[in-house]
Amino acid sequence: MEDFLEQMAEIMEVDNVNPSDELTSFEAWDSLTTLSIIALADDDYQVSLTNAEIADAKTIEGLHQLILSKQNA
Amino acid sequence: MKINFSNKKITGMLSVLPSNEVMFEDEMHNYSFSEAKSLKLKTAMGFKSKRIVAEDTTTSFDMAVAGFDYLFDNNLLVKNSIDAVLFISQSPEYIMPPTSNLIHGKYELDERVVCLDINQGCAGFIIGLQQAFMLLDNDGINKVVLCNADVLSPKVSKFDRNSNPLIGDAAAITIIENTSENTSIVGEIRMNGSGAMALNVPAGGARMPITAETSELYEDSFGNKRSKNHLVMQGDNVFNFVQTKVPEQINKILENSNDTVESIDYFLFHQPNRFMLQKLADKLGVSRDKLPSNVVENFGNSSGVTIPVVTTFNLGEQLENSEMNVCFSGFGVGLTWGTIIMKIGNLDFCKLIYK
Repeated sequence: MEDFLEQMAEIMEVDNVNPSDELTSFEAWDSLTTLSIIALADDDYQVSLTNAEIADAKTIEGLHQLILSKQNA
Repeated sequence: MKINFSNKKITGMLSVLPSNEVMFEDEMHNYSFSEAKSLKLKTAMGFKSKRIVAEDTTTSFDMAVAGFDYLFDNNLLVKNSIDAVLFISQSPEYIMPPTSNLIHGKYELDERVVCLDINQGCAGFIIGLQQAFMLLDNDGINKVVLCNADVLSPKVSKFDRNSNPLIGDAAAITIIENTSENTSIVGEIRMNGSGAMALNVPAGGARMPITAETSELYEDSFGNKRSKNHLVMQGDNVFNFVQTKVPEQINKILENSNDTVESIDYFLFHQPNRFMLQKLADKLGVSRDKLPSNVVENFGNSSGVTIPVVTTFNLGEQLENSEMNVCFSGFGVGLTWGTIIMKIGNLDFCKLIYK
């Protein structure tokens, strides 16, 4: 989780993120950050995410759970 | 479908780009994003300038004709030597007749010359090569002219940050011939029609004719505005498809051939954007300088024409004077993905010109 929080902070261009933070609340949030998340999931976690799945995950914690559940699927 | 041919080779390649150049910054104000966000996108994706037709009245046919004129005028192609014309495009001149027949008519080609239009996009060069190789297996066919052409800039909304910055227009003419040399051409083409709508233009065909209603702009969840007459792309699905299927295909072809990543001199791929290409290079374990990704920043993504553009732009002179082992790969609309590994070189011409 720590690694993931750091990676998300980098994508969202902030010093740190909290698990409960809403994805759309970040200033940097747009289609490019979504693509960066998709690329991160593909590179580091070997799972494919869609825009809709990321939007449904809502928070940083939700996104982390989504990636873990896909890894275990 | 597996590809396996011998005794065939590419003998010439010409790309035709519009002389009209548009910079990313020129159109940035059309997008509903802050300047900072758009500039961030520019850096990440490798956008800079693109080449698009100056007038919407310039078509794929016009771009192709500029290429044919150049080849005939410079004696690089002799009319009577042509046995077949393939025209691969998503922007044909008319619903009927085929654009290849219009080319046939314009140059008064002989009645024995066979013409064929194929509707294909990003993998259009691979599909075209494969069709050319098949045609060459028929009696009386020794030289095929493969024409890849697309003018899609009029089909993209200027207010769509997803597609507008990357789309370019271009045409290319590739000559493919039979040879007594024992050449080896291997590869594969695969398709997944369940993803067919991942890249589409909703209106303008029989299913949804263009009306006042389809021409109205709507806004998507990211703030991009486009109408149903415009190209729309599910970027997330396309990204996932490319990053999964393309390395898988190339690794499999390499496994079954005598080649390795090291024995390939250049990986000449379709050019969606620099971001995706660098990721592909890393995944394949190919150094980024062996997989050029500089087409979108200089010319834009011209769909099926990008492989000839990346080849003529980066290796023009080298391929006129030496031979290389290359891996061509095209992937996108369809969904279609195809790869061909072959030697190419000592070409009669390998040039990029402007119209």
